[in-house]
Amino acid sequence: MPHPGWDSFAFEGIGTAWEISTPEPLGPAVRSRLLDVVADYDGCYSRFRTDSLVARLAREAGTVELPAGAEQLEAVFRTLYRLSGGTMSPLVGSSLEQLGYGGDYALVPRGPAAAAPRWEDVLEWRGRTLRTASPVVLDIGAAGKGQLVDMLAGALRAEGVTEYLVDGSGDMLHSGPVPLRVGLEHPYDPAQAIGVVGLGSRALCASAANRRSWGDGLHHVLDAATGRPVDTTVATWTMADDALTADALATALFLVEPAVLEEEFDFEWLRVASDGRASFSQGFEGTLFT
Amino acid sequence: MTSPFRKTLIAGVAGLSLAGTVAACAPGSQAPSGTAAPSGTSSAAGGSSSTPAAPSSAGGGSYKDGSYSADGTYTSPNGTETVGVQLTLSGGTVSAVDITVHPSNPNTRKFQGEFKDGIAAQVVGKKLDEINVSKVAGSSLTSGGFNQAVESIKAQAR
Repeated sequence: MPHPGWDSFAFEGIGTAWEISTPEPLGPAVRSRLLDVVADYDGCYSRFRTDSLVARLAREAGTVELPAGAEQLEAVFRTLYRLSGGTMSPLVGSSLEQLGYGGDYALVPRGPAAAAPRWEDVLEWRGRTLRTASPVVLDIGAAGKGQLVDMLAGALRAEGVTEYLVDGSGDMLHSGPVPLRVGLEHPYDPAQAIGVVGLGSRALCASAANRRSWGDGLHHVLDAATGRPVDTTVATWTMADDALTADALATALFLVEPAVLEEEFDFEWLRVASDGRASFSQGFEGTLFT
Repeated sequence: MTSPFRKTLIAGVAGLSLAGTVAACAPGSQAPSGTAAPSGTSSAAGGSSSTPAAPSSAGGGSYKDGSYSADGTYTSPNGTETVGVQLTLSGGTVSAVDITVHPSNPNTRKFQGEFKDGIAAQVVGKKLDEINVSKVAGSSLTSGGFNQAVESIKAQAR
């Protein structure tokens, strides 16, 4: 339990484990509503099923109408595409598939790393309308889980629930008067933490290259301009007011210097390099063990 | 007897891949011997092949407790890199993984420059059960499909 006496609702969604904790148990109608939110999101954005909107975009060029919330995704991805000089892109899906991380979970590279197509060449994304010039593998994974965290929190608030923790396996949004003690998982040893952060009513997200790794030098955080995994940063954490922003920035920290991101986003960050050194913003001061 | 041991080593190799993943182009430390992994101990594991170091025969687990180390090479975008991995088994499970990077990449110096004085530190790990947290944020535990595939690759690697 995040707080003593709270109740938790656990389920699987978008390929990972979720836990929603609240002071009072959630009734069946609310639980059902939450599961619908997850199912709708998966049905649109999953790269790993053949009936999703994203799967349709991978088969053929065309125009699709995305669900509500797509405009926030677009805004964040557009800004980060610009700040990263095109290295962070929602079109990185084809590069991931090239390295073996596709819907078939081959986990065997098809060939050398391949750059993602450039946004300006193949994608016209305005709010909820997305038009492609050729088949593309859209991958909103860098921000998608965070957005789903926000949506589930929104669904709770719509039901009158004001205190909660929505935890999508480490990407979380907390609302409550008592800060939550959250361990920062050690990049090389999940049985350890490298620090503890007190999370107020904010989002905390993490990104790490260690778990979704399937071969020499292959993991899921890619440089879209080269199609190769990023290998100078091993783990990042961010705090922001919403989980979509925090999630996207956790990935962006693999590709963009924090100072550049700070010019356009209000957030706190912690970054661990592959040699075990950490650097962090003021909001993470004092969280690391020494 | 040999079979569980070999499995242990395969687990080590899988871990090695992870290490290789994150270690490629790793910023080197000032020390010529390489960089300590976050988990602390460095001590370049000189062995060029797997060398079980004093495995004790703890009952119960299917693997022998002890420390095992191996050096491995992998191909990074910048060429071949070497990494040393030390696994500690206790109760049949991996209780610690220590990675020693031997960067051969000249970019390592450059990356070091990115760290500003005063905000850089070597991270230190503590066991989760010692620190009293109610949640953990890290690499998200990933889908069953992904983890299954990794298991399948390990089986193929046998």
